[in-house]
Amino acid sequence: MTELPGFWRTEIWHPLSVHLPLAVLVLGTLFFLISTIIKSVFWEDMSKILAITGTIGVWVGIYTGNLADSAVSRQICDPTVLKAHEVNAYIVGWIFSGVSAIIILEYFGFLKKIKKLIKLALVILSIIGSGILIYTGHLGATLVYQQAAGVHIPSEDCSEFID
Amino acid sequence: MQMTNLKLNATVITVVFAVIFAFGISSCGGNTDVVDSGTYSGTIKKVEPEKTEIYVTLEDGKTIELYFIEETTLTKNGEKVDFSALAKGQEVEVEVKKVGKRLDPISVTIKE
Repeated sequence: MTELPGFWRTEIWHPLSVHLPLAVLVLGTLFFLISTIIKSVFWEDMSKILAITGTIGVWVGIYTGNLADSAVSRQICDPTVLKAHEVNAYIVGWIFSGVSAIIILEYFGFLKKIKKLIKLALVILSIIGSGILIYTGHLGATLVYQQAAGVHIPSEDCSEFID
Repeated sequence: MQMTNLKLNATVITVVFAVIFAFGISSCGGNTDVVDSGTYSGTIKKVEPEKTEIYVTLEDGKTIELYFIEETTLTKNGEKVDFSALAKGQEVEVEVKKVGKRLDPISVTIKE
């Protein structure tokens, strides 16, 4: 008889931690665009808060992803997808770390002389970062829905669900 | 003057992107290749002890990623050795079995 594995497995922490930064960073990028178009300080401040929060979330996601990697890489049939997911996640992490560093340096008044360039760099980096982030999410989804990465597949007779 | 500023801005942004992508790709061993089942010689590019995983650059320049499995044997001078015996830069001979696009290492022999 197959035994039902416990829910709180190592690989579970990754999906639990990646969706928040995904939503926050895409929303932050949208707010950057809105603030550029309507020239609103409120939207710009909101976008900066979301960018920094999301960046912290991305690195948490990468940490939990590395934990999940050990658990699933020996089970899936195409680890090249996992590798592409990992490489793109690191690129996203560094892009938004760059964005956050610029925001923090600007906040403390270090970048006053190149304010226009900073604004341009933030928008460009955020748009590209969000694009790669969405692609990274897509790769993660294919790992789960096409290769059952980290997923328990019930036995044919569902015997592990019988008390 | 305006043109010079534009060129400077473009250069700064290009450098920022180049650094970010270099960091991103090098942080996790870079992209890897898939080869057919067989025995290959190469050099260890990276060892990840916590994942019992190694990256090997083969003689043809391809890089393969190998996660040790229960069946994997690791030997040096004909004797079984522990995973901790592996280090970056070592010459190795690996026998791999291709399962889908996954490469399961059957044996790893440290040459030096």
